Amino acid sequence: MDDTTGYPQGPGKGRMSNNHMSIHLLYIEDDAEIGTWVNEDLKGRGYEVTWLQNGERAVDHAGGCRLVILDVMLPGLDGFTVGQRLKKAYPDLPILMLSARTSIDDKLEGLQFADDYLTKPFHPDELAARIEVLLRRSGSYSSEPLVLKHLLVYERENRIMNKDTGEEIVLTGKQFQIFMYLLRHLGQILTKEQIYEGVWGDPYLDGDKTLMVHIRYLREKLERDPASPEIIETVRGVGYRVKA
Amino acid sequence: MRNKKLPRPRFRGSLLSRYLLIILSALLFIPVVFPASLIGYQLVQNMVLGNAFPDAGAEPEERYQTIHLENMWHKEAKRLKGSTPEEIDRRLKELSEEYSKVDMFWVDANSHVRQPAGGRLHLSETWNAADAISYMKRYREATQQFSVIAFIGDDEKLNQGFMVMQVSKAALGPRDSGLSARESMAFFGIILLMFVLFIVVSWMFFMNMRRRLLRLQSAMTVPDGSGLPDPITVRKSDEIGQLEAAFNGMVHRLDRSLKREREEEELRKRLIANLSHDLRTPLTIVRSHVYSLHKEQLSERGRELLKLAETKLGDLAGLIDNLLSYNLLTSGKYTLHPERVDVLRTVRESAAAWYPLWEKEGFEVDIDLPEGPVYWTLDAQWFRRILDNLFQNVVRHARSGQYIGVRAAMDSAGGMAIVIADKGKGMKASSGDKGAGIGLAIVGFLTREMGLDMEIRSTEEGTTILISRASGGGQGLKLK
Repeated sequence: MDDTTGYPQGPGKGRMSNNHMSIHLLYIEDDAEIGTWVNEDLKGRGYEVTWLQNGERAVDHAGGCRLVILDVMLPGLDGFTVGQRLKKAYPDLPILMLSARTSIDDKLEGLQFADDYLTKPFHPDELAARIEVLLRRSGSYSSEPLVLKHLLVYERENRIMNKDTGEEIVLTGKQFQIFMYLLRHLGQILTKEQIYEGVWGDPYLDGDKTLMVHIRYLREKLERDPASPEIIETVRGVGYRVKA
Repeated sequence: MRNKKLPRPRFRGSLLSRYLLIILSALLFIPVVFPASLIGYQLVQNMVLGNAFPDAGAEPEERYQTIHLENMWHKEAKRLKGSTPEEIDRRLKELSEEYSKVDMFWVDANSHVRQPAGGRLHLSETWNAADAISYMKRYREATQQFSVIAFIGDDEKLNQGFMVMQVSKAALGPRDSGLSARESMAFFGIILLMFVLFIVVSWMFFMNMRRRLLRLQSAMTVPDGSGLPDPITVRKSDEIGQLEAAFNGMVHRLDRSLKREREEEELRKRLIANLSHDLRTPLTIVRSHVYSLHKEQLSERGRELLKLAETKLGDLAGLIDNLLSYNLLTSGKYTLHPERVDVLRTVRESAAAWYPLWEKEGFEVDIDLPEGPVYWTLDAQWFRRILDNLFQNVVRHARSGQYIGVRAAMDSAGGMAIVIADKGKGMKASSGDKGAGIGLAIVGFLTREMGLDMEIRSTEEGTTILISRASGGGQGLKLK
């Protein structure tokens, strides 16, 4: 699908697999036309969707859900309140805010509890990609392995297989954490600072070569040819990316 | 400015009255305190020292009191009425024995001086009236004597003469004597004590004033750039108390106007947000229909038109966003939140978000930013917005160049500048897409507000935009 809206895209296109039959999403949207459209689109992508037109009973329905898509402007309780209630009841449940309001304050307020924020009008592929990233980040991995070139990554079992040799690739703790961090942001470019702070949890110190050293060793283990890496791509001047 | 009438402060309890009290007591010090201390000293002397040495004082004290002596003398003179000179001599002799410290003599009707008890006094043989007066004036005053003169029979018409007694004041008791060294030291000690007391009281007065002024000063100093000072509790109703009350009044007024401003800002934001929602909701619906159309059987031409419509929808959404932001920003109803931001990191993260789109458009992406942080004071959110608008313009209007460059360069003042370059046809050329205007207007407005300089160099070979800190701006974002 061509998208030339001129807006930056968060993650790239995710895998268009239909293997998330069991994944249940809660969708709260008051506009009937948009609601019908998104509901059908998501069902077409293999998700099970519960669509509510207001947020009053959101918490009751969130029980078996893996992710919530939440509109901001709702009749009665507004999206922020609903989101905060949901987060209180289910702290681990990822929330994707969907809003037609774009003022920066709104976005900041939303992101205080929401895990992502998408503005209308959006492309359904963009929505699907973001849902997939959030599910991946929250640990809702599929049982199918993720295929990256010559690698098979079993995210549930924390296992990486080399298809070429049929051997398992064993990574050290930090190497594994870095690789998993990149996989959780599949298709996104991450800066050195983001990776360092995401994995180590400390602020990145300027001139720290630790991350580069780890990535070099990681490539030696993962790549067919570490000199021209295919799995962990270097985006010159910006950072690193693992593309699906 | 209105010429406001000063409120008339109450005199009671004012600083002025209290200071006047101190000054007044200092002035009273000399005429009142000196004698008072003298009396006080004597009281102490009589009560303490008098009791300490009863032998030296009590008994003669009683008999030799001047009033007692005077009464006794006049009584004796009355009793001697009609007595013979011999009788008078005898009685005076008796009296001299009784009052050993007192000298006595008498002058008879013939002006002969008679000293029956013998004489410590050197007197002429005869006394006339002039002698008596001269005695009174000269002798008595010069020798600090106490003397009583009484006519015999206590009546001058009897012409029996008169009798005189005199006693040195030293004999009358210690009270009339001069001050001894110990006594004067005690006296000056009291004076010194008074001085010290005065100094201490004034010092306390001013220290108290100083402390309260300092408290007021610290209350006025707002710890942060943002908040208002807290009102302070007014304890006294004097001048400083009134100043504190006035300060509280000012804080309340400021607080009210700040609240009103915030309410207006809130109202404006809500209006913009609602407007945005009302415009974007139908846009989303149109978008959904366009998306659904893709699934229908369409001709090549139809597909092309659909794609064009989709592009325009995206542009429209961006335009709405920019238009509303511009309105919000320029209405002055939006506060920037400055913080220390690593600009290079922000540029890298923004570029990372745009990278997939550039890739898809087939752009050559040339990002070359130095390592290490460069801190500017900015509103991070709005700085991202500047970058988003500039990157968006490159995608929309410089697509023909197929190039985007993001790098750092030195600006004319030697500071770092962020350079965003494309190889499009330049800003003068019509790219077929209008709408760069509002995006750039926002960039222009925001850079100005954040104390940044933006320089645009546009030729037909491409456009280069430099963003640097304003040379005069110093620390970047100015606080309103």
